[in-house]
Amino acid sequence: MDFNNLISGLDRHTLDGITRGSIYALVALGYTMVYGVMKLINFAHSEVFMVGTWAVLGTYTVIGATAGDGLGMVIAATVLALLAAMLASAGTALAVERIAYRPLRKKGAPPLIFLITGIGCSMVLVEIFGQVLRVFFGRPFGRVTVNIPSVLETKTVFTIPGIDLAVSNTRILIIVGAIVMMLALDAFVNKSRLGRGVRAVAQDPDTASLMGVNQERVIMLVFVLGGAMAGVAALLYTVQYDITKFDIGFIIGLKAFTAAVLGGIGNLRGALVGGLFLGLVEVYASAVWDSSWTNVYAFVVLVVVLMFRPTGLLGESLGKARA
Amino acid sequence: MIRSTKTWQAVAFTAVAGLALSACGTTDTGGGSSSADDGDCNFKIAAMGALSGANASIVIPSVDGAQLALDQWDGGDCTVSLERFDTEGDPAKATPVATQIAGDESFIGVIGGAFSGETRATKTIYQDGGIPMVSQSATATDLTQDEPVEVFHRLVPYDDYQGVAIAKYLTDEAGASKVFVIDNAEAYGEPLADRVAETLGDKMVQRDKTEVGQTDFAPTISKIESAKPDAIMYGGYIAEAAPLLKQIRDAGIEAPFIGGDGLYGADFGNAVGAAGEGAVVMCPCAPIEDDSTFADDFEEEFGGKPGAYAAEGYDAMTVFLKGLEDGARNRADMLEFVNSYTGEGLSKDIAFDENGDVPADQVSYWAYKNEGGTLTPEVEVKPGS
Repeated sequence: MDFNNLISGLDRHTLDGITRGSIYALVALGYTMVYGVMKLINFAHSEVFMVGTWAVLGTYTVIGATAGDGLGMVIAATVLALLAAMLASAGTALAVERIAYRPLRKKGAPPLIFLITGIGCSMVLVEIFGQVLRVFFGRPFGRVTVNIPSVLETKTVFTIPGIDLAVSNTRILIIVGAIVMMLALDAFVNKSRLGRGVRAVAQDPDTASLMGVNQERVIMLVFVLGGAMAGVAALLYTVQYDITKFDIGFIIGLKAFTAAVLGGIGNLRGALVGGLFLGLVEVYASAVWDSSWTNVYAFVVLVVVLMFRPTGLLGESLGKARA
Repeated sequence: MIRSTKTWQAVAFTAVAGLALSACGTTDTGGGSSSADDGDCNFKIAAMGALSGANASIVIPSVDGAQLALDQWDGGDCTVSLERFDTEGDPAKATPVATQIAGDESFIGVIGGAFSGETRATKTIYQDGGIPMVSQSATATDLTQDEPVEVFHRLVPYDDYQGVAIAKYLTDEAGASKVFVIDNAEAYGEPLADRVAETLGDKMVQRDKTEVGQTDFAPTISKIESAKPDAIMYGGYIAEAAPLLKQIRDAGIEAPFIGGDGLYGADFGNAVGAAGEGAVVMCPCAPIEDDSTFADDFEEEFGGKPGAYAAEGYDAMTVFLKGLEDGARNRADMLEFVNSYTGEGLSKDIAFDENGDVPADQVSYWAYKNEGGTLTPEVEVKPGS
């Protein structure tokens, strides 16, 4: 146990934890929105994120962006990759909804069936990237870790005076990017007309229908929004870690789902709080002990929090968030 | 609605009946072909390992090497085929494969298991079947040092030596005196890192553990930053080594990075990209000269340079083929032959001690440097001397 390491490097660990947590939080939004509206855990959401990371790699490959490009190219490549990832992830989420959930909903299937088709979709997507695409296109597809060129190279932008903490461009992008997307989504759901529809369906689907809210369109909307957020997370993730892999969504998805539950599933701000909290806990605990127990720390904290607050830290549903 | 249910019942019944019939058929042919003891020389040799999955690039070249040895062999009256069994390196998937191989008398030898975990899970199955194994790449110490089985042999030295070789490279070749040792907290990486740490003694500055599947190594990076090591050792596999090394270099840490043979393979360079330039991988696999006959033949047959353990795979097959030439016609004779085998191989002079290991004076490692995505042999390290 090395509490000295935690205290002496507290600033650094906090920055690391917020970076990690920001990505959890963005992915957690997809779980929480779908849950808020449909009372359904979309287990295919981890693969929605995975598809986004591949879209980033695809964009870089198509426009030929590599490490060491000029500033113009870096900005263009990053923006295009962001759009491509959002589009790919939102498209995947929508496809999952259309293929795995809508037909069942039309037939009034019991809730458990949706979980199974979600897991099935998740496996299909993993195998598409792990096996199927490799057969047609060869590398880089397959069950291997794939390098993504670090188009946006990590550089220290400034050092926080006093505590002498170096902050790099990638971290700024991740933290600011995540928070901006969160605020935008929160404002959208709480202020816009479509957002009002989302909240209405979350509160009471039947009454919302009677009031003229098109429930199917709201469901499509939450899948697209959740998917787009996973796409943003995918870009930020690849900027920080420069890799992807066919099963990369699994652990991120598990942690993001944990973050969503921790913050109060169905609650947008809960996803943010849960994500950041989980990231910080993991990094702090890893600093005191080591990283081989990361999942234990995360789930012990989850259990303890749920014992005292069974509905999560913020504990409200999407509908009640600000009705 | 009722009518369609009946249709489905009919379809289902037909399907079940068909399956049952085809199952009978399979049993018949199976019964016909499993006659190995009738004096003629028709045998199969099994190769068991991760032929797909994240670590396949460490295994496939060795099986190709074995295939090459078989293709180049003039068998006389013997007809021998190599059958590949994919386990993805997973002990749970290897167990049924081993049961199948051990139960089919037409298999006279096993090349593998390629990884230690699957070998640990299956060696008693092969022992019960009495079928000799020659592994090209399973290096866990306990496979031969704790509870050895008679059928298991390997062409590579075990991990205790590798830890010593890595430590020796770090102190003698890299001139390191403050080494940061990291492992992946699983069966391969942890004991390897333990051994390195033990050999380094006070030349190790700090130790950290990570886990399989991890991609964010920030807590480890901050520990490295404050320890200021002059070299970093990682015990683990490619999937985690690539993001770890990228984050080390992103943080501006330039200390040399060295890993064990878990990083050996073309996928390491692909996964780590530019950040992996100059990283060192220690491997008991002998380098193959680019212009050797073996390299030429291999390239001609498989369209690429011989990769990880290709020479060891070739040697493993050669041992079995020599056994057939010597007149071994059943598993017991073959096992006896392999136990006492000595001969010159591509990778080293081959012999097995009483545990099935490479004799201590033959143990040798090579440090490979990652240059532009290719692992280039740098220096030979003899841990025994």
